[in-house]
Parts: sequence; C-alpha cells; structure tokens
Amino acid sequence: MENNYDDDFIGEIVVNEVNFVRKCISAESSQDDLWGKLICTNFKVSFIPQDAPSKQKSKLSHLLLGEHDIPLTCLEQVVTVNDTKGKKKVLGSNQKLKFNPTELILYCKDLRIIRFCFDEAGPESAKKVCLAIAHYSHPADIQLLFGFEYQGRRYHESKGERVNGSTPRGGLQTPIFDRPSDWDREIKRTGASEWRVCAINENYAISQSLPEYIVVPVSLADQDLKQYSIFYTDQRIPLWCWNHVNGSALVRMANINDPLQQKKIDQRVFTAITKSHPQRGEVVRSDLDKCLPNIQDIQSAFVKIRQICVIDPFEESEERWLTSVENSRWLEFVRAFLKHSAEMVYYLDGKNSSVVLQEGEDRDLSCVVSSLVQLMLDPHYRSLVGFQSLVQKEWVMAGHRFLDRCNHLKKNDKEESPLFMLFLDCVWQMMNQYPAAFEFTETYLTVLSDSMWIPLFSTFLFNSPKQRAQYLMDFAKNKAIPQGEDQVVYFPPVWNWSQQLSTKDQTLFNNPMYVGKGAACVQNGEVKTFRRTKKTYSSTMRGTSASQRNGLKGGEEPLPRRGSLLSELKPDFSPVKDESPIERFFRDWFSRPADQQGVLIPLLLPSHVALWKLFFLRWVPEACIPKGGPITAYHKLSQLVDEIEILQSKLRQYKGPSSGSTPLPSPSAPLPDQRRMYFKASSPSDSPTPPDYLSSSFPFTPVGNLCRRGIHGTPISKFLNGARIWLSTETLANDTV
Amino acid sequence: MSVVQVELAVVAPLTALCSVQNLSALRYGAQESLFILDVNLGVISRLETISVHNQGENTKGLELVCKDMRSPRFAYKTEENHPDVVEVLAKHAFPLSHSLPLFAFLYKEQFPVDGWKVYDPTAEYRRQGLPNESWTISKINSSYELCDTYPSILVIPTNITDEDIKRVAVFRAKHRIPVLSWIHPESQATIVRCSQPLVGPSDRRCKEDEHFLQIIMDANAQSHKLTIFDARQSSVAVTNKAKDGGYESESFYPNVELNFLEIPNIHVIRESLRKMKDVVYPTIDEAHWHSAIDQTHWLEYIRLLLSGAAKIADKLESGKTSVVVHCSDGWDRTAQLTSLAMLMLDSHYRTLRGFQVLVEKEWISFGHKFAARVGHGDENHANSERSPLFVQFIDCVWQMTRQFPAAFEFNELFLITVLDHLYSCLFGTFLYNSEQERSAKEVQIKTLSLWSYINSQPEDFTNPFYVDYKHHVLYPLVSSRHLELWSSYYARWNPHMRPQVPVHQTLKELLILRAELQRRVEELQREASSHSLSSSSEHSHSPTHTPGTPLHTAV
Repeated sequence: MENNYDDDFIGEIVVNEVNFVRKCISAESSQDDLWGKLICTNFKVSFIPQDAPSKQKSKLSHLLLGEHDIPLTCLEQVVTVNDTKGKKKVLGSNQKLKFNPTELILYCKDLRIIRFCFDEAGPESAKKVCLAIAHYSHPADIQLLFGFEYQGRRYHESKGERVNGSTPRGGLQTPIFDRPSDWDREIKRTGASEWRVCAINENYAISQSLPEYIVVPVSLADQDLKQYSIFYTDQRIPLWCWNHVNGSALVRMANINDPLQQKKIDQRVFTAITKSHPQRGEVVRSDLDKCLPNIQDIQSAFVKIRQICVIDPFEESEERWLTSVENSRWLEFVRAFLKHSAEMVYYLDGKNSSVVLQEGEDRDLSCVVSSLVQLMLDPHYRSLVGFQSLVQKEWVMAGHRFLDRCNHLKKNDKEESPLFMLFLDCVWQMMNQYPAAFEFTETYLTVLSDSMWIPLFSTFLFNSPKQRAQYLMDFAKNKAIPQGEDQVVYFPPVWNWSQQLSTKDQTLFNNPMYVGKGAACVQNGEVKTFRRTKKTYSSTMRGTSASQRNGLKGGEEPLPRRGSLLSELKPDFSPVKDESPIERFFRDWFSRPADQQGVLIPLLLPSHVALWKLFFLRWVPEACIPKGGPITAYHKLSQLVDEIEILQSKLRQYKGPSSGSTPLPSPSAPLPDQRRMYFKASSPSDSPTPPDYLSSSFPFTPVGNLCRRGIHGTPISKFLNGARIWLSTETLANDTV
Repeated sequence: MSVVQVELAVVAPLTALCSVQNLSALRYGAQESLFILDVNLGVISRLETISVHNQGENTKGLELVCKDMRSPRFAYKTEENHPDVVEVLAKHAFPLSHSLPLFAFLYKEQFPVDGWKVYDPTAEYRRQGLPNESWTISKINSSYELCDTYPSILVIPTNITDEDIKRVAVFRAKHRIPVLSWIHPESQATIVRCSQPLVGPSDRRCKEDEHFLQIIMDANAQSHKLTIFDARQSSVAVTNKAKDGGYESESFYPNVELNFLEIPNIHVIRESLRKMKDVVYPTIDEAHWHSAIDQTHWLEYIRLLLSGAAKIADKLESGKTSVVVHCSDGWDRTAQLTSLAMLMLDSHYRTLRGFQVLVEKEWISFGHKFAARVGHGDENHANSERSPLFVQFIDCVWQMTRQFPAAFEFNELFLITVLDHLYSCLFGTFLYNSEQERSAKEVQIKTLSLWSYINSQPEDFTNPFYVDYKHHVLYPLVSSRHLELWSSYYARWNPHMRPQVPVHQTLKELLILRAELQRRVEELQREASSHSLSSSSEHSHSPTHTPGTPLHTAV
C-alpha cells in the first residue's frame, strides 16, 4: 500500500484515501467548508485540508491526533448517504454498498458528529474509503487495535534511548496495583493494620477477573480463602478497598451462587472483617443490584441524554428541555449513585461500621460506588495521582470489563454501558459543588473520558488484569520483546499524560482553587500553611452564602444599627422530629463548614445535580457561549494564582532556605515551563479582558465538529461571532462624571 | 420614631417568640435560640389564619404569605391583655391601607454615601455623548405636563417643534412619546422607547408621529431603516386596536420594519411565578423537579425576554440601525427590553454604579409602576396590577452573570439585595409609580436610597472575578441549555436547599493572599537593597539557590 501520508507515526498505514472531499463546517452555508483529502488508516480517520489552516491558539493540541482526526476506536456509527437517491445506510465491517455515497456522517463516541461530502470526489474512491472506515472500525480481534502495532514499534524504536534497556515505569507516579508493594503502601497509608496482601491469585490461579494480589483480613488464611472462593461468582472472594481512620473497612465482593453455602460463608467472612476492625465494628452489607439501576438502564439513559444534547435538532430540543433531561433519567442515575455512596459514607464514617458492597459479578456498579465512597472520604483521592490510583485500583485492577463496556470491538451492543462515564459525571458533580476540593479540573475529566477512545493505552482496553496480562504476553512474544520486561513499559497506561499533551497543555488539568496539603491559605488575614490535620480548617470557605442572609450581610458589620433587617439564619431550620439517624448524620455534617481536606458529602436534591455542560455540549456550536462560560472565571483565578506563586518564589529567594515554614516545597523560582497555571499572570500593560478564544467549550472547539442538516439558523446562531469590539467609547467613558 | 413591640409566645412548629418591632420586621426566634428569622413586614403579601390542631387551647395559627416565595406558618397562644397579633401585623404590614406612612419615611439611618446622587440624567446623557447635533436634552416635560409618567428630562430629536411633540403625545398611549434611551457611540444608532400608537379600529394616522419616527431614522446616517420592536404578542397588538391602541402600520411609516417579540403580559408572568412558588416551596417533588420547572414556563419567558433584548442589541450593533421599543404603555416589557439591551451593549452598565444608573433611568425615572406592580404597604393582595416584572428582569441579569462570570462588577448578593429591598419599604428607591409622585412625596428628602446602603459597603457586592469587558458587546446564549432556575433566590427559603460553596469566597482569599505576599516581597526587597549597599553582589543573599535565577523576577 502506498504511504504518502504526511503526519503518520510509527506503525500507521494508510488504507484508503480520497481527494476533493468537503468537510462541512457550518450548518447554514457551505462557504466555510474545508476542502481536502479524507484518509483512512489502520488507526484513524484523517482529513487533511488543502489549505493549511492558521494555527489556532484556542484549543488543546493533541500530540497524537490532529484537529480533524478521529481514532477508529472512537467511531460509534458510520453512516453513508446518497442525497439524490434518498438512500442511507449504516455500515458495519465487510459490507457492500449498493449506491455511491454523496455523504459520510461519522457519529463519534466522544459525542462529535462529523460530516463529509463527496460532491466533487471520485465516486468509486469515496465508496472505498467509506467501506474501509466501516471495516477498520470493526476490528475482528482485540490484537488488531492499533495500540498493539504502535506500542510494539515504539518499544523497539525507543529502545536505544533507555539507559541499560530499562525504564522503571517511565517515572510514572501513579501506582498500578499490579504488585504487592503498591497494595502494601495503600495498607500503610490507610492504617489498615489488620489486613494483609494475599497472593493466592498469583498467575490468576483462583479467579479469572481478580488481580494477582488482593488484600484480605489477617484472620483469614490462604487455605480458607481458597476453600470459599469456589462458591463466589468467578471465584471472586471479598476484596478490600479502603480503610477509614476509625478502623472500618470498605470491602467489595461478588454473589455466592449456592444459597446453602451462602449463609455459612457470609458469616465467616463477616466475622473476619469484624475481627479486622479495631473496635469490632459491625459489618453492613449493601446489595447494589437491588438498589441501583442496572447497566442496561444506564446505557439507555446515556443514549437518551446524548440524543437530546447532540443529535436532535437544536431548536426542537429547546422546547421542554428540562423535561427531556428528566425523561432521559441520566441525572436521576447520577444522583442515585451519589446518594447511595453518601449512605455508605454514613456507615463508614458515622457509624464506624465496615461496609461490604455486593454485586452479582462485582465488576460494574461496585466500581462506581466504591470509588465514589473513597473520593468522599479520603482527600488523597482528590489529588491527581490519588485519583488515578483510585481508577487503577477500583476499575482496572478490580476487573471492570472495559473492553465489553466500551464495546471497542463493536461485537455485542448489549454489553455496552458507560459506567466509567457515569462515574466521571458523578466526580464532576462533586467538583461542581466543592470547587476547591479537587486538584484537577473538569478539563482533566473530559480529556480522560476521551482517552477511552484512543486505543494506545492499556488502561481502557481489557476486561480484566488477566486478559490484559495474557494479551500483552502474546503481544510481547509477537513483537520480540524480551520476557520479564514490565508491561507498563512496553504497553503503558494512560496516566503518563505527556504521551498525549504538551507540558503546557497539561497545566489545564490544574485547579487553581485546589486546597491541597502544603498549599498556602489565608486565615484571618494571615498567610498560613495547610496541614492535613482533620477538621482544623474552618475558615470562611463555606461561609453563609447570600441566600441565607436575607439579602443583607450578617456577621461583622462595618455600619452599625441596621438590625431590623439582619438575620442570622442558620443553614438548618428546625430539627425534624422523626429524623432517621442517617438524616441526622447528613444534617449535622451540612451544618458545619465543609473541610475540603476532610469528608465531603455532595448535595443531593435534583436542583443540586446539574448537566455537565463541558462534556455534553462542548461540540454543539449553538450551545457555545463565546467569551463566556466558567472558563472566564478560571482564567482570572489562574492568573491570580500564578502571580501568587511568583511572589512566593521571590519571597523564598529573599529568605533563603528557611525554617520549614515555606508555603510550597519547590525550592527555586518556577521557570516559565514549570509554572502550574495555564494562564499566566498578566503584566500591567496587558488587557485584563480574557482572550478572544475563550468560550464555554474551551479548550475544545465546536467549529466543524457537528454539522446537522436541516437546522435553520436560529436568530441567536447569528450571534455566534460573539462579542465585537468598539474602538472609541474609551474617550466617552472618560467624560463621565 | 414610634416603636410598637408585641411579643407573643409562639408554640409549634417552634416554641418561639414572635415580635413585631420597629414597625419594619417580624422577628421570630426560638427560646433555645435555635434560630431567629426576620420576616420583613414589607415582604408580606397577605396574612392568613390557619387551623392548628393538637396545640392546646387558646392557640391560633397564622400563615404569612410572602412576596418572596415563602410562607412561614406559626402557631401561637393568645393571651388576654395582648393585642391580637394579626391585627397588629396587618396594620404595620399594610400601612397604606391603614393610613400609616411607609416605613421608609420613619427609617433614619446614617450612611456615608448618598445614593440619591447616583443618577444624574444630564451626566448620564453626557457620558453617552449627548446632546449632539441630532439629539437634544429637552426640558419640555420639566413640570410633567407633557407626560405625567415620564421623567422631567428627556432626550428628543433636535429638529422638532414643541407643537409637533404635543401632537405626537396625544397620539401615543399615556402621552409616552418616543424618546432616546441610549445611543451607540460609533454608529449613532439609538434605542428609542415609547408607548403604543393610538391607532384604534379605524387605523387613525398621525402625520407628526410619522414624521417624528422619520427624524429618528434620519438621525442615524448609517442606516435608512428603522426597526420597531413591539414586545407584545402580535395577536394582542391586534386586539389592542379595538381598545383604541394598536401598532404602527408599515405602509404609513416608510422604511420602518415592525417586529413582534411575542412576550406575554403581566398577568401571565404573575401566574408563572405563582406556579414556581408551588414548585420550590416548602417541599419539592424530587422525581419531577425538572418537568415541574418546565411547566411553570418561567424560563421560557426569561428566554423570550433575553432573546428579544439580544435582537435589539444586535440590530444596533450589527445592523447599525436605530430601534423603537414599545409594548402597550411602555413601562413594563419596554423597560425590561431596553435595559437588558443596554446591559448587553454598554459595559458601563455592567459595573456596580452603572447598573444602579440603569435601574434608576430605565425603570424608576421612566415610570415603571413599582407601587402598583409590587403593592407596597397595600393589603389588596389580589390586585391584578401586581406582577413580578422587575424580578424577571433581575433574573435575566443573573442569567447573564452566570454565562459571563467575569463580566459583571456586581455579585449575586447584590442582585438578591436589590430584590429584597424591592419589597422591604426600607428605602425610598422603589416607592411610587413615577418621578412626579416621588417628587411630590419628597422621597429624596424624606427617605434613604438603597444605593446609599449598597455603596457604603461596595466590597460586599463586588464580584472578585470582575474584569472590565470594555467595549465588548455581550450576547447571552439564549438557549434552554444555558438558562437555569435561580434557586439560590427562588428556593432559598426551602429548608432543604442547602447553599453551595461560593467560588468567589476562594478568590477573595486569594486576593488577600496576594496582597499579603506582595507586601512581604516589597518589605524584603527594601531590606535586600539596603543590605546590598554593604555586600558585593545581590546574588550572595541566596547562596543556596540555583545560580542564574534572577533575584528580581519580572512579574
């Protein structure tokens, strides 16, 4: 096959291409459309515009994918259309097409919809490209996913760069939990002294879906566990997730198939868990299958919310928007998972009880609930590395079927379900409610969700650690990678973000408001350093908000005697008489100022759960607010934090290495490329106005990513050009008295 | 100042004390000081006695139905020798119905800033570059003879005689002639407001009125067109003809384009907010929260208003064409539309002071009937003149602040405070229906301005994210996807609605941190420079640091 493709990278082969293709940019007219070449490779669908576009500063530039590229794994549906014949066909692999397509519409898993027109292209080559795209996006086997080709080549080509042929996990900070030491560290970190790492599943001898190393109660011997394992679905014996400081543990397990054995084994296991609790706290079991929506419900909710957000004509879905959102049930499910997780927090934190999450296979709903519970209880998981280790521990290693749930091979639609996406949405809800509690931003969550559809990382490709090990062993054999080489080195996880983004772009992951350990803050006007002592931080972070003040400010009054309208309304009204313990726990928690570094419980009324606009609406041009959106506040905050960090580093230089009261650990001034903030402090000469390219979709751009036909320009769509600039009002403003 | 204090023992749902004090607020608080909640008397719409069971003898129930989306209920013990609480409350909650003065006239507070000085129409027009060769600042209405609901100072075209103006006034409802609200600093395109023409069923014409609009068109050299935005539903405008009102016929007004914005009337809006109260207070239906909001149509009307205002702004900005805005009387929807369009077009109105000017100008001076729409101190709660049009406007502003979190100098607390004092009767700002009435009642002399209070502590009402989007026209995205229910206002009295962490709190702390660090850096810098006089090199002060890092990093 000829390879005249410009930007290809190692292992990429052009399968088919067609020239004089028009990529539709605007729904209203074709004058902005781009002309160019449409290419199908073994990795992606690519469009190369004839005229190189001016480099836009406005968006994330991906290191592996160009602006017009779509990885084949990201394709949801390939639709060909013949306008004149009024025909339309959804293409699968190895199919025939009886008409010449005039149009190709690609529905993507990241919610983009992209349209190409073939009015000037050769009909035969257009057809061939369409068929190639459809075929290559339905790989017959997982080994045909491009990652296998790519990582094999990359391994060999970069071999020379490695010192002594070994890169210890590429400097990866995120624990992978594929070795006992990672679990050991987690046991120590959480103080779970009555739990131990158990190796009975080494070489997957017991269970096909559990990791090789698991954590179990000290009082259970390997022999016992082996004996119990035969009764659990897929031999999944109970799996320790996390320990509370008070000694209660979070455990997950599969169902026991044999009802006769169930009581006996349950009793033994629960006794062992109780023994591992310093106060012998009781064990609470939560049967997730009984109280949460199932994976089909979740899939159908996601399909509906996607339908109204990006597929239905914009104007039509404007009517009764909230009702449609409600009918999709997506937010209802998000709430249900958050609510259930918050209840588990009550047992662990409020009642000192250990919690056992039980689910048929323990590989779907459990992943969501166990990781949410840990996010609420443990601030470590709200740091970037901590969050990634959480995903690694509760999803990848716990055997979430990423291959099936993502439907990477498009083999079985019934198995498809966006559980991980649901989890990310729940995380976003918490982030939206506690903007200072997370080290990372919603941009990070969105980029992470997009990474599911790039088949170059081992994280989201497999159903279980065993499957991963097996495929990667075969792969190593095929690619002549020496035995004993670490899989993480030759088929890396997604966590090394420099694989995808520049250092500068990665700073978009940093939340300027994050109050981590070691970060400086202000208390009573004094600069202090955060220490991770529980419940000490009670400044004004969660002060009474406007709504409670009757519209007037309470508290310290600069002006006296305005008593008549002032109110000192506390967040809670009268205690309800027949309140359950769990309600009281929540009420007590909400009546205290929230400690961003302590337990965090989300607000759970429907009015508190919002649609994640960056994720769901970023590709919809009609829904993009030019110069607006939360990013404009982020912009201002980032600049401020950058300025503070420059000042802090200056201070350190003046002081020299001081007594340990330095607010930040890094010893020298941040070099420009080491600065944490994407938006740098502005100099006095800069205009303070946010840059023109900011929009509610930033750092993504909806332009050309979604072109539906039959949309008539709404009056407001004409305004998409956004804010315009006047030149001469300044003089007028100066005349103002 | 006379103070009536009535203390009542209030039993369940709270064992509490209830007192009417200072004639301004009802305070009830629990004895164990669980909480004290003040209900401003001005906010009470009606008092309702309710039946209470199981609370013992001599116990009565009372519900305070409020204008701000709450209805607290009490049970209280009646005692001999005590005046009846309902009577006392009614008297002071509805002073005008009991021949008592509004509380604003009794309220004596000292503020360092005089809010009555915020709005000076001449200064505001001067800021806009007026007068100029086409527009003049006229005193024709200085004694409110031409139009009793208009302000005394009007901006009208230069080339028109007083005689013609009087004829136009006769042809326009309530004599509200077309006058300038805002002029584009570049194109000279203008926003002109008025009331409906009195066309009547027989399609009356008025030569002077047609000429008047022609002059307005001609004052803008950039365009040979004029666009009239009639806020009403077209069907309603037609019906109005039968009632001697109507709309401009495009055939009589050459080069005029007429658009109906299809916005429903005050009664529909009132009903919509009433439904909203049922949705948010005192409990919410969790399973149907979103569809229940949809059914109130509140956000739909917000959308209509914002999109109407965006059309007006776009016509001026992109079309460089002057617009005339009216509804029926030109004091409700017209005020909403012109003020929102001006907020989009002119960044000055997005500042704390500028917004006050906007409200003073487009709403208060141009005769939005606050007294009638709010019903200050009046017990007739069922009066069909009442309607939350100003609330709807503030909601639109809030929607814009949500979409452009950095573009407005004021914060959410400011908007909520303005709405609270729309009802409170504590300040004179929103009292009465017109400038003429206010001047007759000497409001500026006898009462205080809300802006005195606000501007005496502006830091509380300032948005820390604010950056001046100078010269930027901001169009909100008028899509249901971005319009939200303002639950921190409408649902704030719902006991289950817990507030979220305000983001700006963090920013305020960062601002303090920055100031503190800046101070310390400067301090050390001074120290260092005095040291460096005696030492050989600046760098010797940081010997442990990587060489090459400049001591004075440019910021």
